[in-house]
Amino acid sequence: MSALFGAKYFGFILSAFGITAAVLLALTIWIVLVHKSRLRQLDALEKAGIKRASRPNG
Amino acid sequence: MTTDAANKPSGLTALANPTRFLALVRIVLPYLVVSTVLLLSIGLWMGFSVPDDYQQGRTVRIMFVHVPSVWMAMGAYMVMVSGALGVLVWRHPLADVAARSAAPIGAAFTFLGLATGSIWGRPMWGTWWVWDARLTSFLVLLIIYLGLIALWNAVEEPAKSARMAAVVVLVGALNIPIIRFSVEWFTTLHQGPSVMRAGGPSLAPHFLYPLLVMGLAFLLLFFTLHLMAMRNEILRRQIRTAQRKAARGHRNPVARETSK
Repeated sequence: MSALFGAKYFGFILSAFGITAAVLLALTIWIVLVHKSRLRQLDALEKAGIKRASRPNG
Repeated sequence: MTTDAANKPSGLTALANPTRFLALVRIVLPYLVVSTVLLLSIGLWMGFSVPDDYQQGRTVRIMFVHVPSVWMAMGAYMVMVSGALGVLVWRHPLADVAARSAAPIGAAFTFLGLATGSIWGRPMWGTWWVWDARLTSFLVLLIIYLGLIALWNAVEEPAKSARMAAVVVLVGALNIPIIRFSVEWFTTLHQGPSVMRAGGPSLAPHFLYPLLVMGLAFLLLFFTLHLMAMRNEILRRQIRTAQRKAARGHRNPVARETSK
């Protein structure tokens, strides 16, 4: 793998793997943050006395 | 047959209950995350250990992210197609949740397929982009994904948006065989199929095995993200229902008191 560094077209290989990692990481973080935000919203509603029909454990 | 076991729902019917589905996600998710990380690590190690290709040199390694991204872009769309059928034919409560949750993930993989393909094309073809049938039909897939995401967000009523989106998903599915066979039906700069083809893969085993491992890793990643996104969508619907309930209570305080 060390032979890759400085090799011809190294920038293209790095860009392809870099953009893949960045997009997939951003997508994962976005999904996790949305989950946390939704749980917070549901907690706030329950504190306000609004009960859910079904209470998830997730 | 009046026992509890006989009355107990099973399979897809059991999963129609959001609480039961969320409990299943809670159990399955840790295993999926660990398997995905493990397979991605193995796939990346295998991918970077392959020798240079005699024609493409070191850039052949781009294949290990480009091809799995393309597979998942089309795979996610097929999940949406089964969700659309679930909405229109079986009216399964989680069908629209599954379809809607797959859209942003599919769009991300489609974008990655286009981006990594373009980055690979520049040194190999001498151009970032060409309007050939494969590239154009794949760009159309991204536009379909973005259009569907916009449609789901634009229509407020869930049942109406589910039906409208399901019809668009099924019409858009015509693009999937066009993408798949575009390299056979038309003269394209993009190469023909080299893995899923009659007569078996044309790739050498030392390229094929890392590619299959990366494909499986991306598949597990898709399942992981899709389950997480479905969980978010179920919570969004529960929040919406709770907010409506709260709004009704504020409008009609007498009803609120009597309902206690």
